[in-house]
Amino acid sequence: MARYILRRSGYMLVTMIFVAVIGFLIIELPPGSYLEFEIARLRQLGGDMAPEQIRALEVRYGVHDPIYLKFWKWFSGFVRGDFGRSFEHRLPVSELLWQRLGFTVLISVLTMIFSWVVSIIVGVYSATHRYTIPDYAITVLQFIGLSVPNFLLALVLMVFAQQVLGMEVGGLFSGAYRNAPWSLAKFIDLLKHLWIPILVIGASGTAWLSRVMRGNLLDVLNMQYVQTARAKGLSERTVIWKHAVRNALHPLVMVLGMSLPGIISGETVVAIVLNMPTTGPLYFRALLQQDMYLAVTFLMFLAVLLLIGNLFADILLAWLDPRIRFE
Amino acid sequence: MAKQAGSSTTPEGLVVRVRDLHVYFFTDLGVSRALNGVSLDIPAGKVTGVVGESGCGKSVTALSIMRLVPHPGRITKGEILLYREREKQNGHSIVEEVNLTDLDPQGPVIRSIRGAELAMIFQEPMTSLNPSYTIGDQIMEAILLHQQCTRKEAEERAVDILARAGMPNPQTVVRRYPHELSGGMRQRAMIAMALSCTPSVLFADEPTTALDVTTEAQILDLMRELQAAMGMAIVFITHNLGVVAQMCDTVAVMYLGRVVEQAPVEPLFYDPQHPYTRALLRSIPHVGSRTKARLQPIRGVVPDPYATIEGCPFHPRCDYRKPGLCDVRVPATTQVGENHTVRCFLYTEQGEDNG
Ligand SMILES: Nc1ncnc2c1ncn2[C@@H]1O[C@H](COP(=O)(O)OP(=O)(O)OP(=O)(O)O)[C@@H](O)[C@H]1O
Ligand SMILES: [Mg+2]
Repeated sequence: MARYILRRSGYMLVTMIFVAVIGFLIIELPPGSYLEFEIARLRQLGGDMAPEQIRALEVRYGVHDPIYLKFWKWFSGFVRGDFGRSFEHRLPVSELLWQRLGFTVLISVLTMIFSWVVSIIVGVYSATHRYTIPDYAITVLQFIGLSVPNFLLALVLMVFAQQVLGMEVGGLFSGAYRNAPWSLAKFIDLLKHLWIPILVIGASGTAWLSRVMRGNLLDVLNMQYVQTARAKGLSERTVIWKHAVRNALHPLVMVLGMSLPGIISGETVVAIVLNMPTTGPLYFRALLQQDMYLAVTFLMFLAVLLLIGNLFADILLAWLDPRIRFE
Repeated sequence: MAKQAGSSTTPEGLVVRVRDLHVYFFTDLGVSRALNGVSLDIPAGKVTGVVGESGCGKSVTALSIMRLVPHPGRITKGEILLYREREKQNGHSIVEEVNLTDLDPQGPVIRSIRGAELAMIFQEPMTSLNPSYTIGDQIMEAILLHQQCTRKEAEERAVDILARAGMPNPQTVVRRYPHELSGGMRQRAMIAMALSCTPSVLFADEPTTALDVTTEAQILDLMRELQAAMGMAIVFITHNLGVVAQMCDTVAVMYLGRVVEQAPVEPLFYDPQHPYTRALLRSIPHVGSRTKARLQPIRGVVPDPYATIEGCPFHPRCDYRKPGLCDVRVPATTQVGENHTVRCFLYTEQGEDNG
């Protein structure tokens, strides 16, 4: 097992280097460099630079270095946590990122837990109550959840929260707490705001996962070993939860690995609508503005998340299913 | 629900008595009449074979007695009686009659009976064990459910029963997962699991069909041996009349949801009464038969269970049918010898309705 994780980590490293090369090419592809951008900006402001000055800066920033050297400089910087500078925000990318990454991870993890817990419970319920009225109702809700776009759901919930619950909506904090230092009250305020984004981001995933769970469980309930478990005299609850659900979880775990980046990009739209201080809107703007270092850093982070998610899913799968062996 | 029968042995030495059992499946395509009045006696401590063509209701009969008929099936009529021995304080044991048809199929009473008094093994050893749990866990689960003991004791008992089921290296096998065992070993594990709480009846639904001939012979020997040692009744469901001759004490022949003949093995093979039983026996080869007679398949096909047939269900295929009788009424069960009953108008004038 440990050897397997080690080997997988090795593969992940190789994959990351590939992603880095592609990411770097994306940075280099558009004409111009950060330096030219700076010079143009200075000129616009009315200042000018002597050609010698420019040349000195070019040497300092390595504009004319061969491409592999440039790559190495960027990559080694990246590994050390120096992700370059954002043109638009005129700040180091790392500063921009760390500020917002915490909220993104918090929301993503909570959304994932929410959608897993709800889809397992709902899936089990509708599979064991097939063709009853609650099952039909759940099916309708699932198709609504799948087909209503996130942003629309966000808007609807915002209106609902404001009109019916009288909440101050948008963002993750009420005005009074937005810039206040952390305190218990601020934390509670955060919790009050979190449910909308979690519900919105999780809706379609939950609808889909619970559908998958229902279908799987129905398959597993037809298996002979479920009958064996009943023949032992186990209660129906034990039969379902211990013998059937466990064997129906595989596809859920398999999509787990892929759902991490999905949650982050799905979050983007919602975060824009709900005005949340997460990484999504930042990534979106970076792409629009060709803010290359910022965009590539996001790309790299998404790739890492995907790889880690897959590794995590594989380990979980092995734990669930003894037939999966690592050699 | 439970009455005391009073005597110290079961009535007529039976553990289970099935009377006029009807099980219908209410599907979207219509009603499938899987059982149409099955009457069956299961003697205690003996091996009862149940034979019949595919779809005649053998599995459904066993599942009904376990009260495990799957949705959309339902018992619509008839009764299933279980006679179980109960120790009394004064050392005497009494026999209690439990009407299984009255019980809630998911309720506590039937669950205390399943696994403890009525156990079952299935045809497919590859899929009848849960792939996610070790053999030991699955056997211990039954032991811990029905017997009061610690996990450690349960594990010891699991090892013990695996050893009795002829499992090599039972101490290591308890930690193995089903996929690590061969088909024959899995069936041994299933047998061990079913017998772990010393049931009084073991239903074996074609337990060797999926195995190769050598393994089949070993498993059959094992079941015979364990039956003799532990004294439970076995209900052995099979297509294979050769296996019946080798394994069983009595045989029930089923046709389209009814038991048409039940008899001890010898009279059934040497003096079959029902035309269907005779046809069935003519359709299989006999070892050492001198005649050069060709095997005779049974004329016609099994009608589909969605159709309703007036009268005796076998009459369309029967060489002895009496028009005006067989295609109108269903014959009543008739005694034709010691423990030998048959349902055919060759032996009675009585129909089901007036008998
Ligand atoms: N789940 C079900 N839904 C609908 N009908 C069913 C179901 N299970 C059994 N039946 C019906 O009950 C009848 C008897 O089935 P059963 O499985 O008892 O046959 P069998 O004698 O065991 O046959 P085989 O030798 O093929 O195992 C079948 O003809 C079938 O139509
Ligand atoms: Mg069957």
